[in-house]
Amino acid sequence: MTKIGAAPISAPGWTAQPKEGVKIVDCDVHHNFERPEQLLPYLSTFWQNHLIDQGLHLPSAGYSNVPYRTNRSDLKDPSLKERDFNFSLEFMQREHLDPWNIDYALLTGPPPFYGYTGLPDPDWAAALCRAFNDWTIEHWLEKDERVVNAILISPSDPAQAVSEINRLASRKDTVAVMVPMGTSMPFGNRFYHPIWEACEGHGLPVVAHIGGGSGAARTTPTPVGFPTYYMESRMSRPFVASAHASSLICEGVFEKFPNLKFALTEAQQLWAVAVMWHMDSDWKAIRDQTPWLKRLPSEYFREHIRVGSQPLHEAETTEQLYQFLDMLHAEETLVYCSDFPHFDWNDPVTTFPKLEPESQQRIFADNALEMLRIGDDWL
Amino acid sequence: MTQVVIAKIWEIPPGARKIVVPFRGRAGIGVFNVNGNLYALRNICPHKRGPLCTGELTGRINANAPPSAHAAELAVDGDGEVLRCPWHQWPFEIATGRCLVDPAVRVKTYPVRVVGNDIIVDLGE
Repeated sequence: MTKIGAAPISAPGWTAQPKEGVKIVDCDVHHNFERPEQLLPYLSTFWQNHLIDQGLHLPSAGYSNVPYRTNRSDLKDPSLKERDFNFSLEFMQREHLDPWNIDYALLTGPPPFYGYTGLPDPDWAAALCRAFNDWTIEHWLEKDERVVNAILISPSDPAQAVSEINRLASRKDTVAVMVPMGTSMPFGNRFYHPIWEACEGHGLPVVAHIGGGSGAARTTPTPVGFPTYYMESRMSRPFVASAHASSLICEGVFEKFPNLKFALTEAQQLWAVAVMWHMDSDWKAIRDQTPWLKRLPSEYFREHIRVGSQPLHEAETTEQLYQFLDMLHAEETLVYCSDFPHFDWNDPVTTFPKLEPESQQRIFADNALEMLRIGDDWL
Repeated sequence: MTQVVIAKIWEIPPGARKIVVPFRGRAGIGVFNVNGNLYALRNICPHKRGPLCTGELTGRINANAPPSAHAAELAVDGDGEVLRCPWHQWPFEIATGRCLVDPAVRVKTYPVRVVGNDIIVDLGE
């Protein structure tokens, strides 16, 4: 019988108690290619020539001064001199899915690649997304039922994004649509609505990950310009997520697409409480600007928006952490994300050490399973 | 008092380390040679229980003032004397087990001595 729950066994010195009896759905696993040339077979001749001539020429995703070469230093493939950046399915199985007993891992692609949202040329961005999705299909999917995909789309040309969603929506392993948060307009803008309409039509949630474009061609990472250090750029993430969430709510996206689910990942979590509380307070006074909103903003949030659990703030006391989860309505809104294989990852065992069993089930499995198009009822 | 021969002295030259699991079911131990001195640390990070002793070596990174100040200097002191956990990158002073970013955090250390060619770690009770 398959044992359910996190069961880390191979880490030297590991003594933490596994979380037994709870499925683990990991909503943020970064898979990666080793060399851009690996995408060549999935590009048309025109774009092959473009890649050979110009390279990926992606604007920096977030900041380029990410320390420690981004990844956990204990992850090294014996065949590689350098550490592994999750270049293969076999590596991910050996280092993540098997030892931690992960039930589903949602592939979200490499953050440096998210720079495609900052590309000036929307056709190159769309071609890269198509190629990356096809490379993922060939090398990562269909070989392991635990591996499910958030297909990459480029938001800078909604028509091509819709085509890509329609092209891959019939695949069982397409369980979400991934769009980086680094865009030039907030996600509630009507420019993007055709994308959200296609997602809703196929029963696919949007998983928007931080990164892409900021510090590059489209926007600054903060509303006050370019910060100097990587830590500062991390501190700007909650503002990015807040802007997208409040935009989605105010523009009536969830009135228009009542079955759409929208996750915002790797942007921390405290912001979500601030958005819910602050929007509810403001709405009571200035609701007349957005009269299409029939409910409190926080009600739209709790029904439609999901928040990734990583990177988690470490509260001053454990008690405060659980008070915060209560304020967040984490049993509805929080989805577990490991961020494997990055150095700031959160493992499934020590991240929330003292959850009640019901909360654990919601955060580690049910919230994600209800959002992602996993199962047989989607066709 | 449990004493265990971890290695021969030539197995751990300066800058090197050896990670061993002396007993089944017990935490592993990393033995480090820092500038000719031997130190043993528990291979569990007190932060999130990551495999601390597999991390990378660094030093104490210091600046006497912000870079915008006059005569500001960025220094790496004691390069190789600090261990960073591969999960989350918290730095620990190998000689003392002290966490450089949180004085309340410390990784367990064990006495090490050399007898003949043997490196012996005292695991305590």
